[in-house]
Amino acid sequence: MHWIIRFFTSHRNITSFLLLSFISLWMMSSTPAKQEKIARMLSFSIFYPFQFYISQTARIKNIFSENRKLKEDNAAQAAAISLLREQALESARLEELLKLRSNYTYDLQVARVVAREPSSISRSIIINVGKENGVAAYMPVIMSLGVVGKVILALPHMALVQLLNDPSNRTSVLDQRSREVGILETENGEDYFIRYRTHADVVAGDTIVTSGLGGVYLKGLTVGAISRVAANQDPLFKKVFVAISVDFNRLEDVFVIRVKSQWTSFRSELDSLERQR
Amino acid sequence: MIMHYLKWPMLFAACFILQTSFVPSLSIFGVKPDLLMVILFFFSIRYGIMPGVFVGFFVGLTQDLYTPAILGQNAFTKTIIGACIGLFNEKVMRTDPFVKTIILFVMFLIHDSLFMLVSLAKNTNHFFVMVPDLFVKTIPRALYSVAVAALFYAWEFLPKTARRR
Repeated sequence: MHWIIRFFTSHRNITSFLLLSFISLWMMSSTPAKQEKIARMLSFSIFYPFQFYISQTARIKNIFSENRKLKEDNAAQAAAISLLREQALESARLEELLKLRSNYTYDLQVARVVAREPSSISRSIIINVGKENGVAAYMPVIMSLGVVGKVILALPHMALVQLLNDPSNRTSVLDQRSREVGILETENGEDYFIRYRTHADVVAGDTIVTSGLGGVYLKGLTVGAISRVAANQDPLFKKVFVAISVDFNRLEDVFVIRVKSQWTSFRSELDSLERQR
Repeated sequence: MIMHYLKWPMLFAACFILQTSFVPSLSIFGVKPDLLMVILFFFSIRYGIMPGVFVGFFVGLTQDLYTPAILGQNAFTKTIIGACIGLFNEKVMRTDPFVKTIILFVMFLIHDSLFMLVSLAKNTNHFFVMVPDLFVKTIPRALYSVAVAALFYAWEFLPKTARRR
């Protein structure tokens, strides 16, 4: 017996090689059913820790692929949610416009803003309605919050609207409380003011509406509210600053009031006078 | 001390995990490196024939457990490869990195040839299908693995060289 042990220890390289090769060959020559059995037995005994950790790794790998798939799904759902949110906002906007439509007895034409002046302060917009829709020059354009501007050019399918923030656009307005009439002006498209007589009864917070005297805007359309009354610099006039109720950077859907200007009959003469000037 | 004994099992486990998880994403035209062969090479060349034989057998057997139909085939080929690499044990002969690279490449060829021969003997595959595989798959895989082994070797060898300086 000793000599066998001595033989194995002195020739351990070759004996271990032969032993393991023999075991491998025995496993290879086994029937498939037996191979299956051996594999199962080894998997659940000495190789269990390996199997366990490797299966955990496979799970981690699956987690990565699952994570990637979830990210893709998430992106797709985020896009869908964004679309739905946009539609919900549009719906709310249109609902507001519908409410406005029911409030006014005028003939309103819904229009969508399709283009705007490509500058930091856009002073004009293009809407998707035109002569074909009964829109003509000098028609007022409004939205639920108030006056937006007026149509200055009407083409068959679109119209150019001059916004209130255009320095060349001056609007006749009145203080809703004291009925003081003035001209709304702006020099930079951001600060709006009215020059009232020094003794005029106007205070911060008063609502400013259109006076209807300009010939374009109908009387009583909301323009904004007085934000502050500047300190007296002029003995005759005081400058009253107005916060406009419409955000001209967020115009999407507007209404054109299909009403003929009260000066329509004089329009051609006025236009020729303007051209001469 | 504990790390000294755990180092190799951890390396083998890491290679096994990487081979099944990360390595498939490194494949180039379907060719991917065999990290287990690379680590078996480094182990056997350092510790000699007997450890190489045992580790080769267990690594092969672990691979076989995934495909019980070829149970023993990987264990057999890796046992032989473990023994062959062990012949070039660092304690017995000094070989420079270039020679080691060639040995590793040749071992890949021997491994796949043996695997092929066993498959032929078991009639699980045909000669005319397997021989082209030796050129189309084995050689690119061996080259790719040798490149990976070079990285291992750099990681193992360069710090020592720096210490000697």
